[in-house]
Amino acid sequence: MSKLLTNNLTVGYGKPLIEDIAMKVEAGKITVLIGANGVGKSTILKSVAGLLKPIKGVVTIDDVNLSDISSKEVSRKMSLMMTGRSEVEYTSCFDVVSVGRYQFTNIFGKINDSDKKIIEETMKETGAFEYKDTEFSKLSDGQKQRVLLARALVQEPEILVLDEPTSFLDIAYKLEFAEKLKRLAKDKNIGILMSMHEIELVKNIADMVVCISMDGRIDRIAASRDVFTKNYIKSLYQIDSKEFDSTYGFIFDKETENFNSNSINASTNIIDSKNSNKSQDKMNSLKDKVNDENKISKTKYIMVQGTMSSAGKSLIVAGLCRIFMQDGYKVSPFKSQNMALNSFITEDGLEMGRAQVMQAEAAGIKPSVYMNPILLKPTDDKGSQVIVNGKAIGNMRAREYFAYKTSLIPDIKKALSKLSEDNDIIVIEGAGSPAEINLKENDIVNMGMAKIANAPVVLVGDIDRGGVFAQLLGTIALLEEDERNRVKGLIINKFRGDKTILDPGIKMLEDMSNINVVGVIPYMDIKVDDEDSLSERFNKKVKGLINISIIRLPHISNFTDFDVFEQINNVSINYITNPWEVDLADLLIIPGSKNTVADMKWIKESGMEVAILKYANKDKPLIGICGGYQMLGESIKDPKKVEGGFDITGLGLLPVRTVLESDKTTSQVEGKFVNSEGIFEGLKDIKYKGYEIHMGKTISFDNINDFTENKTGFCKGNIYGSYVHGLFDEKEVVTTIVDSLAKKLNIKLDLEKVTDYQSLKEKEYDRLADTMRGFLNMKEIYQMMGINND
Amino acid sequence: MKKRTVLIYIILILLLALLVIININAGSVRLSLAEIFKILFLNKGEMVNSTILLNIRIPRIIVAIFLGGGLALSGYLLQAFFSNPIAGPFVLGISSGAKFIVAILMVISCQYAFSLNSFSLIVAAFIGAMIATLFVIVMANKVKNMSILIVCGVMTGYICSAATELIVSFADDSNIVNLHNWSMGTFSSVSWKEVYVIIPVIIFGLIVSIFLSKNIEAYAYGEDYASSVGINVKNFRLLLILVSSLLSATVTAFAGPISFVGIAVPHVIRNLFKTSKPFIIITGSFLGGAVFCLFCDLLARNLFAPVELSISTITAIFGAPVVISMLLSRKRG
Repeated sequence: MSKLLTNNLTVGYGKPLIEDIAMKVEAGKITVLIGANGVGKSTILKSVAGLLKPIKGVVTIDDVNLSDISSKEVSRKMSLMMTGRSEVEYTSCFDVVSVGRYQFTNIFGKINDSDKKIIEETMKETGAFEYKDTEFSKLSDGQKQRVLLARALVQEPEILVLDEPTSFLDIAYKLEFAEKLKRLAKDKNIGILMSMHEIELVKNIADMVVCISMDGRIDRIAASRDVFTKNYIKSLYQIDSKEFDSTYGFIFDKETENFNSNSINASTNIIDSKNSNKSQDKMNSLKDKVNDENKISKTKYIMVQGTMSSAGKSLIVAGLCRIFMQDGYKVSPFKSQNMALNSFITEDGLEMGRAQVMQAEAAGIKPSVYMNPILLKPTDDKGSQVIVNGKAIGNMRAREYFAYKTSLIPDIKKALSKLSEDNDIIVIEGAGSPAEINLKENDIVNMGMAKIANAPVVLVGDIDRGGVFAQLLGTIALLEEDERNRVKGLIINKFRGDKTILDPGIKMLEDMSNINVVGVIPYMDIKVDDEDSLSERFNKKVKGLINISIIRLPHISNFTDFDVFEQINNVSINYITNPWEVDLADLLIIPGSKNTVADMKWIKESGMEVAILKYANKDKPLIGICGGYQMLGESIKDPKKVEGGFDITGLGLLPVRTVLESDKTTSQVEGKFVNSEGIFEGLKDIKYKGYEIHMGKTISFDNINDFTENKTGFCKGNIYGSYVHGLFDEKEVVTTIVDSLAKKLNIKLDLEKVTDYQSLKEKEYDRLADTMRGFLNMKEIYQMMGINND
Repeated sequence: MKKRTVLIYIILILLLALLVIININAGSVRLSLAEIFKILFLNKGEMVNSTILLNIRIPRIIVAIFLGGGLALSGYLLQAFFSNPIAGPFVLGISSGAKFIVAILMVISCQYAFSLNSFSLIVAAFIGAMIATLFVIVMANKVKNMSILIVCGVMTGYICSAATELIVSFADDSNIVNLHNWSMGTFSSVSWKEVYVIIPVIIFGLIVSIFLSKNIEAYAYGEDYASSVGINVKNFRLLLILVSSLLSATVTAFAGPISFVGIAVPHVIRNLFKTSKPFIIITGSFLGGAVFCLFCDLLARNLFAPVELSISTITAIFGAPVVISMLLSRKRG
């Protein structure tokens, strides 16, 4: 078994382009590099193949460092098929392929009988044999690729490296070529490393996918199922107007927006799959204990499970939370285990899933890690960072986690009982489907969880994806007797059209399942913060009459600071990463950062600094919030090594200096703008409401105007900085800012309907609740929870 | 080997033989076949005729064959190096570079009255060729467009020629004629002494080229590909350029710059054989170059006899149209 490994590999032409690459290519397996054009896929391939000297790190095959052996020896292990082929006139395909025998032929390159046999057989395998005597330059692109593949194969490599082999092919050739590679890898036990653009093909053939982000990082190395989620692909390629279908791998025009894809949750079940029998008893006894406690507790539970990922569970949980809240109950969401890449950091610096944060908001309470005690952040195809109660306890391989998982049950139990102390109702969300019969044993996210909490279950089916009756009935049929009895209601979600057509089916469904359909919920377009909307927001690029650009720092935090602007028509919010985009802004904002020093360095290195200074020089308005405010100053010093101990000079636009301190300032603040000058003069005396969360103090050393109260911010000319997050959320603040910009640009905007951020969000949740109320039999839902409120 | 390949080899060899016979015969003094036979094999015949034949015509034929072959081969190697079928020692200014240094050497030798041997000529020409080649390589790295590279090469050639003219102006009158003739390119004024130097050098170049043919074939598919099959590309390229420069320097040292042979011959040979196999093109170009130069020399000597034309004039008349047609038929720059 041969295996290619890269360790700590940094590649680039002279200057590092992609750093710290650690990937592997195993015999018989296919590893595919994906990423947008020009991010450096070919550079990686060239470096692996030894065409380009790595800047740092090593490439090994079977523990032999490739830089220690001659190119001749490398060529015996690895062959190459790059893009950009030179064509040689008057050369038959056979001759082209025969060049691949270079290492095997004598000094004059004589092709002997055994070479000939190998060449012809390989050409047959790749489908190039029929035109072996045809001139190569006369072939079509697809035929050429077959020939070139044969040429690479006659080298008898252990590792085959291909650079975008399918790029110029029509769809039939693409499919055929991909299938061929898959078969070759297996039959010949060759490890294949390649780059590819057709993600629908990658999905089918890749064993491992290496994702390179737009800013040239190895963003993810994982099995293909963990990569091909709608939003991940969209964020990787920064596409906004198109949708990526994670099931089929198609890209299509976005006409209808699906809310809240839950595809990542599918893999949660896989982790649940295996568990030793030993822990079974232990777990049962734990469950019993929890059940005992639940009997004492007066808290009511309801659990929402789905027939599949993306059935719309998260939003239904959010809607239920809001409905219960409106009805006067104290309610909290709960999901025992989340698998997600983007987490939310609570005020205490703890990590949890974003969906529960959104649901907590709908419930009108602050998010707490107890709502999501276990968070798994995938690190590669087999491992995850395990976060329990908001704190990372380490990286674990899937297998390790299986063994470890049972010991987390007390944590789930504790979280649930903590929540029940303060709440009347807890709405629990499941993950994926409860009917994954191969994975059901020792489940703690779906029916297992329902049993722990002794919660009634409503099962949600997704009619938008078709087969909703089969989804619901099939799921129920696959449940155990006791589990089936837990399902008290069915919901058909994402319905569009005339419900009367559905009615006879519903009747039959109820008859067959003996479970009532408690609601048919229409397709809803609700703007809420969750993981999915996050990446969409970062990647969309639109142009409005007024363009507000927010610099997308690598460690950006508190991006909701600017959501309030999005409600205004003709005002566009863009998150920018390229220096040339800065100039398009009418208002530039540097947001908060989780690592100010690192992000300041990024600003300098990415050329943003020059662009920002040029922008400021034109007297255009620039606002820095929190970390962004610190960056506007002269310097940021870190004597106590809060962020690594480096001092860095800032943009020098405001005469202030920042010293980072280990104490964290966390507080809610209210105040008035003090002496705002420049374009936003009108802000003076307007009230703001927000919060501070930062490490460090910033002092001015020149006589400049205060911007926000209590020395939390200063301004000079059109440069403004403040520590206050949520500074723009109030209606009057946002309208004044937009109005000032509109006046300067000589345009008129309708700002009548603008509301502040909180009420904007509240409105969305209310709309969600109202819609659901209209289509759900709430009475029946209350009844199944054991609440009678007539 | 394919039938076509064998057939064309045979035709080339027959043509060569035919031209040798005509060349021996043709000239201001007509020699009958019987007389030639006598001189060659029986060591009899008129003294004057024998001198003409043995000391003028036969060395000149041999020189034409080897220098012609060497020149065509040098062109082919350059084409392989630059992956550009329009490359050649003359259009890239390499011949002119060699000419320039040789001219300097010649003028100095006249001035200080020391005699030049063949070896020092070759060395001087080689130095000039290498300087011009390095310059072209630097340019090739800058401009990726082939046509522009050629224009740069032609300009380099002009600069070298102008500099050569300048030097010639400072030379003694008596030497100018000789120098002028040489700088236009000619196979006259060669003797056996030079033949003994030319043959081993050119044969050496030919053999090295043949041994490089396997690498040339792989290199034709791109530098990356060549190194992926295990070729040390750096060394290979160095060897290629050294051999090519050596060949064109040798030609220039003895016959002055001769135009277009390096491009036209490999191109015609490739189209005749309908192959790109380096081994065939190398040997074929060598034969073809020999045939072409013999033919052109024949015309140069006899067309306006007793006035002898410069060989470059004739090669340009036949070679330049071939190059123009190549440029026109190329789809991309």
